[in-house]
Amino acid sequence: MDGMAGQKSSLTWAVNIAALLLVVLWTIPTAGLLVSSFRDRDQISTTGWWKSMTSQEQSSFVRTGAAEDQVQDGDLYVLEGDLVGEGQSLSAWGTSARDPGAFAPGESTDVDGATLTVTEDGQYRMESTAPFEMRRGERIFVITESPPSFTTENYSRVLNAQGIGRAFMNTMTVTIPATVIPILIAAFAAYALAWMEFPGRALLTAAVVGLLVVPLQVALIPLLRLHNEIGIGKGYLGIWLAHTGFGLPLAIYLLRNYMVGLPREVIESARVDGATEFQIFRKIILPLSFPALASFAIFQFLWVWNDLLVATVFLGNTRDELVMTGVLRELMGSRGGDWEILATSAFISIAVPLLVFFAMQKYLVRGLLAGSVKGG
Amino acid sequence: MKRILINSAAMIALTATAAQAQLIFEPGEDERFNWASLEEFGAAHSGLEGQRFNILGPWLGGDQELFESVIPYFEEATGAEVEYNGSDSFEQQIVIDSEAGSPPDVAVFPQPGLAAGLAAKGQLKPLPDEMRQWIVDNYAAGESWADLVTYAGPEGEEQLYAFPYKADVKSLVWYVPENFEDAGYEVPETLEDLKTLTEQIAEDGETPWCIGLGSGGATGWPATDWVEDLMLRINSPEDYDAWTTNELKFNDPKVIEAIDEFGWFAKNGDFVAGGVGSVAATDFRESPAGLFEFPPNCYLHRQASFIPTFFPEGTMIGEDVDFFYFPAFSEVDLGQPVLGGGTLFSVLTDNEAAMAFIEFLQTPIAQEIWMAQTGFLTPHTGVNTDVYGDDTLKRMGDILLNATTFRFDGSDLMPGAIGAGAFWTGMVDFVGGQSAEDSANAIQSTWDTLQ
Repeated sequence: MDGMAGQKSSLTWAVNIAALLLVVLWTIPTAGLLVSSFRDRDQISTTGWWKSMTSQEQSSFVRTGAAEDQVQDGDLYVLEGDLVGEGQSLSAWGTSARDPGAFAPGESTDVDGATLTVTEDGQYRMESTAPFEMRRGERIFVITESPPSFTTENYSRVLNAQGIGRAFMNTMTVTIPATVIPILIAAFAAYALAWMEFPGRALLTAAVVGLLVVPLQVALIPLLRLHNEIGIGKGYLGIWLAHTGFGLPLAIYLLRNYMVGLPREVIESARVDGATEFQIFRKIILPLSFPALASFAIFQFLWVWNDLLVATVFLGNTRDELVMTGVLRELMGSRGGDWEILATSAFISIAVPLLVFFAMQKYLVRGLLAGSVKGG
Repeated sequence: MKRILINSAAMIALTATAAQAQLIFEPGEDERFNWASLEEFGAAHSGLEGQRFNILGPWLGGDQELFESVIPYFEEATGAEVEYNGSDSFEQQIVIDSEAGSPPDVAVFPQPGLAAGLAAKGQLKPLPDEMRQWIVDNYAAGESWADLVTYAGPEGEEQLYAFPYKADVKSLVWYVPENFEDAGYEVPETLEDLKTLTEQIAEDGETPWCIGLGSGGATGWPATDWVEDLMLRINSPEDYDAWTTNELKFNDPKVIEAIDEFGWFAKNGDFVAGGVGSVAATDFRESPAGLFEFPPNCYLHRQASFIPTFFPEGTMIGEDVDFFYFPAFSEVDLGQPVLGGGTLFSVLTDNEAAMAFIEFLQTPIAQEIWMAQTGFLTPHTGVNTDVYGDDTLKRMGDILLNATTFRFDGSDLMPGAIGAGAFWTGMVDFVGGQSAEDSANAIQSTWDTLQ
């Protein structure tokens, strides 16, 4: 790149613009989710989030008072009330569902022998010489302009949901050991597969890589049956073991490829100096592999944090054992469809993984390249 | 971070105290309830003190709270302890748990097909034989209900394996009464009238129906309800039963007629809001919204009793919106068929208290406690319908009690690959322009591969 520094070609511009476009494209859904998490359900079902910043035209109806609400004014019977909420402005009104915007504010019309007037500021007045007898109010249809409005109610609903605190602790109890145990095991295994000479090493490595393609769903029933038979049953120990097992192939593969790329000279000179395998592993390999360890820790943490399937199978569904994802799912209701809760939950449950990510991100970029480039 | 931990600890303390069971209706106080049945049950089931069992079911959120309000009465009467757990992936979880050897003691099945499958594998415990006769005698359309819960066991012998508790009515058409008044429309009494009304609304330049089949991975299921409802109005209940077991082929002219009848409503651009193209694309949860728009996007919406959950906030049933029974043809003498759903309770372990719980569900009081709240219908003829929490429930309950034929949602009775697969996609293809015959042939050919 240095050689091209003087002449910024149009290609560089194209690349930059393309990158910018991709970033924008990539973040739009997240932005939409964020906006949706501040809107209520009716808003979400009527308009898209991109319209939430502008004022909305809405048609709805308001019921007038019924017979018991009428007051006598001279020889007239009168029903009065307000048609628009705070901050809204009335743009048209009507008395028929088929033509809700028939009249402008300030006009009057006849309804069943009574005169209905709606003023500019949204007050209605219905007058009649005979007393009103209806048990249910007349519908007045209104077309209103309402300013953009946002609510934090979704957040308080999710944060105050029953059992969310307990669930947070449960998720932590599951996630931390389920991240640490596979790293411990995988680091040893990766070192052995990368640097220790023994027969069948290549085959063993190939077998581990092969395990990557086995979908974990096929293992659910046999594994749970095994747990039941050897007496672990459903519980934290079971889920730690399950997550460890499901995470190991990727961990070993990632760490082995990274460790293989470490300079041979360093390890061989340590051997010449009389270091044991364990010393080499602990004093040389482990510190050098930190980026790979950190990046796998982030992968595994995110996966376990977001997991619902493995948790419901191996941990059970009782209130005491429910993880965060389980509680958030309950909030969605028996039939789903509460998008505002889904959006809000996403932003709340993202908080901890974000923290983990930022704490470890400087290792992530280096770690992502783990094993992809072999130095010599 | 530390603050989060402290907060969570406080919340744990709170939830622990809130979990104390409470009786929402004081026993003996309200005359409408059948308290005698509770005392009788308690007297007949002593010796269960301290026993525990757990129930796994599909109810979450509001439904879970309602069911958990019934349980304390059982605990009070017997001294046993019950724990209910809900799961929205109940269908998968019950299979995994029972296959792996850690089943719940009691399971609440929303689909008879699933229960039948587990019964055949020997996972369900047979219920006492006299319970079958009890269902026949005490439930409206009792034979229909009893057949629904009688399955072939692992050795192929027919036995009672589940007890139906809580029903839903699907044969409902929702409408806005005042829009009907303004336009001068009448609630139809027969299916012929309903078709005439549909044509009349279209002639007036309005759109009669809102139909939405979208439901994520389950897109197409609302159409299966339509076809099942029309099946019951064109063909005999025996044909319907044969259809769900494929004795009557899916591409039989009788079935194709029912699919075409649905097509009469859904495949006419003048009859559905947004045009035929939007039927499969509209989410079923959003489809009723057209009723509440001004000017109205549509006047009629056929959907089960649960749909008010998705009406705009503050909508009053009976005032802002109402329903009528999806009527039957007056020319065809098939009585008043009702399509519905329901949940079935099965016992999966040898727990004595769990078996007693099934008997508890037979008592009028176990039904009345939930009836008096919301979201519960029962075909039990021995309950006092005055306890229904509101007028809407009572009217839905009446539809259920007046049914001459009750049939369960057929797609739930069919094997999963059909009822939760080929039937759904077949209906989406049908609405998308395929002929009824081609769709039916495609579904039948999938069914053939299963045998």
